[in-house]
Amino acid sequence: MLSKRHTIWAIYAVFIVLTMAAPLVMDSFWLNRVAKYLVYGMLGIAVALSWGYAGILNLGQGLFFGAGAYMLAMSLKLASATSLQQGSDKPVPDFMMWNAEPGAPTELCCINKASFLWLPFQSQWFGVLMGLVVPMAIAGVIGTIVFRKRISGVFVSIITLAVVLLVRLVVIDAQPITNGFNGLTDLGWLNVGGFEFDPYVVQTYYLVAISLAVVLIGTRLLVETRAGLILQAIRDDENRVRYLGFDVPTYQTFFFAVSALIAGFAGMLYVVVSEFASPTFLDLQFSITMVVWAAVGGRASILGACLGAILINTISATVSETAGFAEGWKVVIGLVFVLVVLYLPRGLAGIAHDLLDRLRRRTPADTVRVGDATGASQLAE
Amino acid sequence: MNKVALTIDGLGVDFEGFKAVNNVSLTIGEGELRVLLGANGAGKTTLMDLISGKTQSTMGRVFLDDTEITNWPEYKIVRAGIGRKFQIPSVFKELTVRRNLEVASCKNPGVLANLGFGFSAATRKRVDEVLELTGLTEEADRVAAYLSHGQTQWLELGLLITQDPKVILLDEPTAGMTQAETHKTSQIVNNLKGRHTIVVVEHDMAFVREIAERITVLHLGQVLAEGSVAQIENDPRVKEAYLGAQGIA
Repeated sequence: MLSKRHTIWAIYAVFIVLTMAAPLVMDSFWLNRVAKYLVYGMLGIAVALSWGYAGILNLGQGLFFGAGAYMLAMSLKLASATSLQQGSDKPVPDFMMWNAEPGAPTELCCINKASFLWLPFQSQWFGVLMGLVVPMAIAGVIGTIVFRKRISGVFVSIITLAVVLLVRLVVIDAQPITNGFNGLTDLGWLNVGGFEFDPYVVQTYYLVAISLAVVLIGTRLLVETRAGLILQAIRDDENRVRYLGFDVPTYQTFFFAVSALIAGFAGMLYVVVSEFASPTFLDLQFSITMVVWAAVGGRASILGACLGAILINTISATVSETAGFAEGWKVVIGLVFVLVVLYLPRGLAGIAHDLLDRLRRRTPADTVRVGDATGASQLAE
Repeated sequence: MNKVALTIDGLGVDFEGFKAVNNVSLTIGEGELRVLLGANGAGKTTLMDLISGKTQSTMGRVFLDDTEITNWPEYKIVRAGIGRKFQIPSVFKELTVRRNLEVASCKNPGVLANLGFGFSAATRKRVDEVLELTGLTEEADRVAAYLSHGQTQWLELGLLITQDPKVILLDEPTAGMTQAETHKTSQIVNNLKGRHTIVVVEHDMAFVREIAERITVLHLGQVLAEGSVAQIENDPRVKEAYLGAQGIA
């Protein structure tokens, strides 16, 4: 019989094959929807990494998602047809034109005081690069300050929560360059080597599905490295790790930044499939919703949190379209969260692990190693 | 006398007027086992905090061999070669016993250096040896949260042994243990003698007699006496300050 470790990898493989096979049974409308849910699944992974493995409950993950989204959206906004129809051969976002002071030059460099910040985003790849770099850099700065000061637990959550709300206000307030409440809409398509990623074509779905598979496997491998082991040790007893000679804040900041990188990447993919970026990404509600997905799926399981996000969103979409249940559904989700926190701290992944252990115990030839590498972090809640 | 491993020179800390440790000087030879004795509040744990960098000293200096390590960040003091066991056992509760020891066996402390998988054959062998030495072989694949109190203490000792520092500070390693467990702990500690320089804070005299070579008695943050078990047991100042009129129980 397969070892538990192999069984778990097999489950990962099945999941990836299923996501790859989805275009066989779905039309382009549903594919686009599912692509969004897969992006949410990627956010679940980011939350599981920082909450489940590093013990950092980030209530502002939306900040990184939003940062990634805005960076790419700026480039795609400039690539949009609406930006080129402004009486200039150089792109200028339409909202800048609408709000321009009378007599202001209609050039990106100087249409308003801060519009020059958009200049490098004329290159789409600059936008993509920034979509990865900016979330990581923000996480690096927050992490360095917070973790060097040995702030931990609920205080990290409060700080991240405050930061995301602060940035949301700034983004809304910087209307001349962010289009405020309305966000960036009417975007162009991501263009890779001449191919345009129309959100409703199957290639765009595969861009998301393959990205998710890569992130899923990459994160899983990352937590299996020695550094991943040390990270889990830090989660359990930070001080003990310090007295084994490790510089704890370096580890925390590193994994915090990786989690931010994943969220930023998810934000970019979201822009590709939904064609907008808006301050709603920075809403507190969104960041907390991500935590709910991960909690229900199982925060100590990379795949569990990912599946939690996909499942909840799929069910939400179907149920909330049933007449009379649209509002009631929110109550159900809230109730499910409370029940999971109270009775299933390991989420759905915890149930799966228990079932797996029970099945394996039935086969006498196979010695059951209760806490092997993958089960270890799950068992002791 | 042997080469000196740990030198403490006039070390002290002033907590807004209260001197928990005041002008303590000690030298501990390489491979020596030194017991720190003292009543509650004598400054034993604070002294360990000062040596290991948990608390910043306000006077005096600490040397490891010839390197001054006074008030370095904790992890640097550890890397220089001072390991520590805490009074309240601290292990990684959600990891298995073996994985606990593997954490301690990562020789290179950097993040990037640890982005690889698995451990060398030598490291795995070493982990097996430590499991054997601490009597935790049977428990190797159990999650640490399920260990008994005594086993948790031994696991933390195991972490230190795997880490293999030059100097080991043990803060009440037998706290809360049964007699049998205490005896086993003394065997583990005796096994480390000679290989490591060990400083032990302990109240349990049965345990102290099993392991002690030299004892330093602290009283009100200062060194009161130093000597062999017999000398300390018969020292009238120690009796008065710490042991009461009845002597050592």
